[in-house]
Amino acid sequence: MSEDGGAIPTPWIVDAGVLIAVARADTAIMTMIQELDARGRPLVIPVLAITAASLDMRTDEASELLEGLERLGNTQTASLRDAEQAVNLASVIARTRLDPWDAHVAAVADAAVCPILTLDGEKWRQHAGDLDEPLHIIEIADPG
Amino acid sequence: MSERKTRLTVTIDPHLAAYAERLVEAGKASSVSAVVNDALSERIERDRRIAKRWKEITSQADMARVERMIAHAEAQAAQLPVQYRFR
Repeated sequence: MSEDGGAIPTPWIVDAGVLIAVARADTAIMTMIQELDARGRPLVIPVLAITAASLDMRTDEASELLEGLERLGNTQTASLRDAEQAVNLASVIARTRLDPWDAHVAAVADAAVCPILTLDGEKWRQHAGDLDEPLHIIEIADPG
Repeated sequence: MSERKTRLTVTIDPHLAAYAERLVEAGKASSVSAVVNDALSERIERDRRIAKRWKEITSQADMARVERMIAHAEAQAAQLPVQYRFR
């Protein structure tokens, strides 16, 4: 709860696929992220997911678009702070068999009790039960 | 810039301080303060360039579509257990 007693929205953990769309200058995804941020939705970006997006799109423009995420007011990055978190990430990789960047997203979502914002709900649903607590997914789509 | 400078006390990593001092010794900067001033100016320029590019891209969005996508996401969030919705 916030100091004034209002409920604070739970952060959404942004996965690598969403960040790849940002790196590719996807207009709709970038605008959605910007609008969510402007409306007070906290977003958390695991740094290894940024690495995955940067690997997908190796241009200066892509790098700067990804850096631009850090400049949004309600968005923050989640790093690997210390050895304990690094070891925990290894545990998540071992249990899920996910790539390190996806495992970092899962680890942050699991530790922070937050849903994962993704373009690929099916991929995450396959891993929703891999950890002690279920992973919850919010899939980006245009229902038309 | 012609305006008066502001005195500022900062703490920086030793290797960055050493690099700035080497630039001064090599005659590539007039002072360590000038190096820091230039670095901050470049940071401002970079931030502005990034903000401008984001604005250029997002200004082209189909807002009706984006609103549908946000509503779709919020509807899914509303179905989550309460601990996944609010702090």
